[in-house]
Amino acid sequence: MPILSIDNLNKNYGRVQALKGVTFSVPKGSVFGILGPNGSGKTTMLGIIMDILKPNGGTYTLFDQAPDENMRRRIGTFLETPNFYHYLSAQKNLEIAAALKERGADDIPRVLELVNLTQRKDSRFSTFSLGMKQRLAIASCLLGDPEVLILDEPTNGLDPVGIAEIRQLIKQLHQQGKTIIMASHLLDEVEKVCTHVAILKKGLLVANGAVNEILASEDIVEIGAADMPHLKAVINGMNGYNSLKEQDKMLQLFYPVGKTDVEAINKFCFSNGIVLTHLQLKKKSLEAKFFELTN
Amino acid sequence: MIKLLKIEWLKIKSYNAFIVISAFFALGVFAANYLVYYFKKNVIDPSDPTGLISGGSPFDFSKVWQTVSYVSGYMLLLPGMLLLILVTNEFTYRTHRQNIIDGISRIEFTQVKLLLGVITAAACTLLVIFAALLFGATAGNGSFSLDGIENIAYFFLKALTYNFIAILLGVLIRRTGFAIAVYFIYSVVENGISLMLLGWSVKLKKDSNIDFGNLGNYLPMNASDGLIYSPFSNFTNMAKKFLPSDYTWVVLSLTLLYLVLFYFWSQKRMVTSDL
Repeated sequence: MPILSIDNLNKNYGRVQALKGVTFSVPKGSVFGILGPNGSGKTTMLGIIMDILKPNGGTYTLFDQAPDENMRRRIGTFLETPNFYHYLSAQKNLEIAAALKERGADDIPRVLELVNLTQRKDSRFSTFSLGMKQRLAIASCLLGDPEVLILDEPTNGLDPVGIAEIRQLIKQLHQQGKTIIMASHLLDEVEKVCTHVAILKKGLLVANGAVNEILASEDIVEIGAADMPHLKAVINGMNGYNSLKEQDKMLQLFYPVGKTDVEAINKFCFSNGIVLTHLQLKKKSLEAKFFELTN
Repeated sequence: MIKLLKIEWLKIKSYNAFIVISAFFALGVFAANYLVYYFKKNVIDPSDPTGLISGGSPFDFSKVWQTVSYVSGYMLLLPGMLLLILVTNEFTYRTHRQNIIDGISRIEFTQVKLLLGVITAAACTLLVIFAALLFGATAGNGSFSLDGIENIAYFFLKALTYNFIAILLGVLIRRTGFAIAVYFIYSVVENGISLMLLGWSVKLKKDSNIDFGNLGNYLPMNASDGLIYSPFSNFTNMAKKFLPSDYTWVVLSLTLLYLVLFYFWSQKRMVTSDL
């Protein structure tokens, strides 16, 4: 059973089409990254799922059922910015959140401790730094130990230690079997914590699947020699690779995953009178894939 | 809905503006009525001892219900302003989004605000009943009577109208300062238009013998205002044959119609728009 299924979702802001027929599913137990540059439609999509934006077309289900407020209560969601009553303390804000989610307020000390805000629980929200506000929002998501978390740019505004802590927390929650849907424009973040990824570009879904599949969609062999024109002529006569690209005085050969034989390349070049000065096998990084897909 | 009301209480019980505005309203009701009592006793009565112009003691039972409802009505912009702030705060802090995200529906979000408007109107009405009993017992001369108690019901409808207009403006405008300005300016402008329409209604009756009642009382805020007549002047009674008729049932129907309109307009706005 998918936790979230989106089918042909569309959203317009006037003439701007923010989402263009997006379709994908989030498997149970995954850490699902929604990746895309600013303005690609990540937050719009999550806003629709949480019923704060109205779609112009398409449907979605939560827990394989038509979405409603009862479904939303089963999900801990932090969307875009930490939204709390500025004149109330952290504790009182969480009491309101717990009541809205129909969860007991007795879980508040645990979640405050998880995000290191116990000492500041009686301080007004308006006195919090951006990082503390962010952590309070994450604490609110964790109230009642929900089975699904939706986090939109969860490490925004956090210092490096805070970022590491949140990533660690996400990994721990994943190990506990929770499903986490995380929107981010940080490739590094998605690469480090996600099991699945959907990549959006100007409202269009350009890639979707397991991070390992998307990350390792191609192997790259980088080769160099003193006589580059000769090397290029020789390589043009070689078989087995998908494509060839010249970059930084090197040749890049793109192979299907696992089909690369570096030794054979070296032998082929040597037998054709080329001594390689550079030979390196690279996995294509998510960053490279991301730029390739979004540019 | 009880659960949602408890959540609203968590939001407002520690909010300074709630405490301050509520205190101002309560104080204002008693101060305004006392000022009327003081002015009548020390300024009007010495120059009009027979009560020919002023129409006798306004705090005698049964007139006290009308007087206190009428005078206290001038304070009703305050609870309206409080509700308006409570609604626009949600948009300012973006907590309206978080409330929906955390598990209430858009309809529930709007309905609990409107219910808060009803409860606030009821609380204001209770205060006015208490004030009427107090002024009737201490500043009036007649014995206790429930004649004219319908003015208390009219006060409730007036309070409800002011509250619902404030909630609607909050939902439509979303920005606190601008919404408050529109709320106050609208009340002044509507009163101005209402006076113009009264003049036109009088002229229509005089020149063409057409009597549609006071057309000024058919506007949204003035409809509920028009349910409670001024208790102070006998001029109105004396000039009745020149004035348009009091179509109370029309004004009452319009008041109820406007309340239904405000209710559904606020709800539709929240249910259909992006938040």
